Parts: sequence; C-alpha cells; structure tokens
Amino acid sequence: MSFDIRLRINERIAVIELTGELDAAAAGRFHDTVDEAATAGAIELVIHAAHLSYLSSAGLRSLVFARQKMGDEVRIAVVGAPEPVARTIRLAGFDHSISLVDA
Amino acid sequence: MAQTKVLVLDERRGMPPGLRDALDHVGAEVHVRSPGEVLAASPGRLPEVTVLLASAELAPHTVRSVARRLDDEGQQPSVVAFAEHDLHLLDHHVIAGADYLAPPFHPDLVRARLRDCHERAQFSRTMEDVAAHAELLSYERELEIGREIQLGFLPDSLPSPKDWEIHVRFRPARTVAGDFYDVFEIVNRRRLALVVADVCDKGVGAALFMALIRSLLRHTAEQSGLQSLIAAELMGEDAGWAEHSRAIPVVGATPLLNAVAGTNNYLTRNHIRQGYFATMFFAVLDPATGNLVYINGGHNPPVLLSADGGEPVLLEPTGPAVGVIPDVDFSLGYARIGPGDTLFIYTDGVTEARSADGEFFGEEQMVGQLGEAAVRGEELLDHMDGALSEFVGRAEQSDDITMMAVHWNPPGAPAA
Repeated sequence: MSFDIRLRINERIAVIELTGELDAAAAGRFHDTVDEAATAGAIELVIHAAHLSYLSSAGLRSLVFARQKMGDEVRIAVVGAPEPVARTIRLAGFDHSISLVDA
Repeated sequence: MAQTKVLVLDERRGMPPGLRDALDHVGAEVHVRSPGEVLAASPGRLPEVTVLLASAELAPHTVRSVARRLDDEGQQPSVVAFAEHDLHLLDHHVIAGADYLAPPFHPDLVRARLRDCHERAQFSRTMEDVAAHAELLSYERELEIGREIQLGFLPDSLPSPKDWEIHVRFRPARTVAGDFYDVFEIVNRRRLALVVADVCDKGVGAALFMALIRSLLRHTAEQSGLQSLIAAELMGEDAGWAEHSRAIPVVGATPLLNAVAGTNNYLTRNHIRQGYFATMFFAVLDPATGNLVYINGGHNPPVLLSADGGEPVLLEPTGPAVGVIPDVDFSLGYARIGPGDTLFIYTDGVTEARSADGEFFGEEQMVGQLGEAAVRGEELLDHMDGALSEFVGRAEQSDDITMMAVHWNPPGAPAA
C-alpha cells in the first residue's frame, strides 16, 4: 500500500503532508521526518492528513513518538483527516494530546 | 552449459587474435570494452556477463574497480587475466585473486577455463541464495518467537459459569500483532473478568508488551479483588443493592479500576519511551444478574446484541488507550447482558480486515452481520468467521483477529 510524506518548514512551523496509508511499514519514514522537524527547531507541527486514507495502530504509535519527540510545548495538529482516520485517533483518546482540526 | 558471456577489458579495446579465435570457436558471446567505458557507462547500459577477461597490462586495482562497477549492477563475473607475451604481468592479477589465461589459446583449454568460471559463478550465486534464505529464516524465527510469547500468555481454557457460554476466536496474523484475551474469576469467584485487548504495532516488541500488560491486568485484578470484597463486607455493603446504584461502587469495580489504572500508571512510569500502548475492553460480569461494569480504554466498541432483536448497543470508550497518558482517569461504564443476550467483543483486526481490493470490512458491515445472524454464542462466531473469510477472499490477513462472544442462556431464556 502506498505512502508518501513531505515536509516543509516555514517560520519554524513544520508542515508534514501525508498521503496514503500510515502503517507499520510507513512508520519509519514518518519518524525520520518528525526527527527532521524536531531537529530544525519547529515550534509547531501541522500534519495535513486530507489524503491519509488509513492509520493503523502502528501509525497511532508513531503519533505517540511524534508527541514525545517534539516535546510538550509544541502544538501538534492533525488537519483535515478523513472520518475513519479521525475516528481512530479519537477512539484511542489521542485527540487530547493532539489537536484534531477540520480542514 | 549455457552460452558463456565474456567482457574483454583492454585499454585499447584489443585482444590477442588467438584468444579471439578460441572464444569464437567455443561459441562465447564477446563484448570488448576499455575500463573507462565500463566505469562511465550509465546504469543498466552494461552487457550481462559471467566472465570478465582482463588484459594483464591493466593495473589490478583498475580491474577491481570495473568488477565493483559490475557488482553494482548485480553482476558477479569471474575475473580472468590474460597476457600474450609479458606473462610475468599475470602475477599481480593472480595474487589479487584472479584466474588467468596464457598462450597457447587452444579452444579446448579456453573452454575448460570458461567452464570453471561458469561453475564458480553459479556456486557463488547459490551461496548468495543460501545467505538470503538464512536471513529469511531468521526473520521467520523472530516471528515464531513472537507468536510463541503471544500464545504462551493466552489462557489454556476459559471458565464456564453455569448458564453462560463464553467463546473466543483468535486468529493470529503471520506478522505477530499483540492481540490478547483473558477470562478469569475474581472476588472469590463471584465475578468474572473479561478482557479483550490489542497492543499497538507488530513484531516481537508488541508480543513482549502483550505479555507484560496481560500479566499486570490479571495480577492486579486478582490481588485487589479479595481486598475489595473484604472492604465491602466490613462496610456492610449489600452487594445486591449496590449493583443497581451507580453512585456507589459495585463489587468488582475496585479490581477493575485498580487493574486498568495501575497498568496505565506502570506503563507510563516505566515504559513511556518505548511508546507501546494497548486499547482494551475490560469488563467485570456478575453471572447471577448479567450486570456488567466495564472500562473501555480506547478500544473498538463491543456490541451488545439483545435477544429480542432490538437495536445493537455499542459500548463506547470510557477512557483513552492504556499506557499513553500518565495519571489519566478512567470512567466506569455499565451495561446488562439480559437472558438470551450476547456481548460481542472484538479487536480492530475484524473491522480492518481487507478484501483483495483493499476495502475494509468496517464497523457498519460488522454490526450488520451481527444483527443478521440468527444465532448466538459459538455459532455467532462461526457466522462472523464465515462473513470475514468471504469478505477477505484470498488477501493475506495482516492483523490479529480476536472475537469473543459472551452469551447468557438461562433455562427458559428467549431463543435468538
């Protein structure tokens, strides 16, 4: 299943765009990209998820890592996630540590 | 023997006429290149060869560079140095590990040398296959270890209180995920603990955390069960009355809260860096009344199916997944399994099962199938198994699938 990830950093706001399926196979690339954003000193992480079709439990785990990596003071927002992905995040109760934002 | 493919390497793109004749005579396919041409060739533009026939006038390190370049293309030809007059030039090449050809270039001698090369090339390919296979085996072994851990922490058998039917289907995925289930008696055998949980991610790590989480839950629930019973009795609490009042803790609620909150605190205190968490549905059932007190920690909502065919009820989360948020509060949920009713508890392997075209089974279809099934208990699991198999078809199962059906079947209960 395909997965694509893009990162751009503007004024210390890191924007990650996800396309396809974030599962165990894709989690490594997601971690690397979050590392890159953290190293660049991003003060906010915005994850565009409009084209994210699936988030597995391994994908949820990588959101936990993103939360840890960025530190508590960095706001992490998942923007425009399709309902099944948003539901996965809400079900696990992660919508308290990560903001779910409509597009 | 297949046709030998030879790359002749010479600075001036030449070769001794006798050698050329011999190669033609044995029917070899011959390509002649200078080292510069090979090194500068763009990827995929080099001929496929089994023998690199290098002029001894070239420096051994030049030949080595060319061999490496071919290696990048996935070719491992045998290296053979040749010389026409200055035979002493062969020494360095032979010391560097090459084979050699020297005059006279009789076709039979050349053929024999090429055949050796061919066999050696095949042998080295076989070795690579063996190495690749060994690597695969060690991966398979890891999967096997993960599965052994997982299976070793599942109960051998389930308790069966009178008039209750509790059945489980557990279909582990090939790539070890971390599903588990448990059913055990607590509070002096007066209550039944029911657990279905899913540790995030896959692999041996997930299996180890499954073992840890299952043990913490069971141990804490079993240990705190007695204390809470004693406390309840010391306080003169009437269990039967407490059961119907949500303001007052019901028997079994203490072990439930201790187990889930205790496990959450243990994980977030000691293992937060590893990032493992579990979604879980943990319920305490009173077999005498069908009353259920539960915590749903970020888990797919179990489905309560009533005997009279009424609308299925989903038991939504009462807290987040366990192991992520330190000191979080878990609320208690309450439900009742009436006579003839069935509680269906499952993991996301069911809703996220995929067809060959990548479609998900989904909650809607699952609840639909549960409602349609005119059966309860074990037959309901058979029905869901069948529906899943049909949906998935020949696609590979990528996640563990766990389903538990808890059915109350007292004498005279309404039939499904």
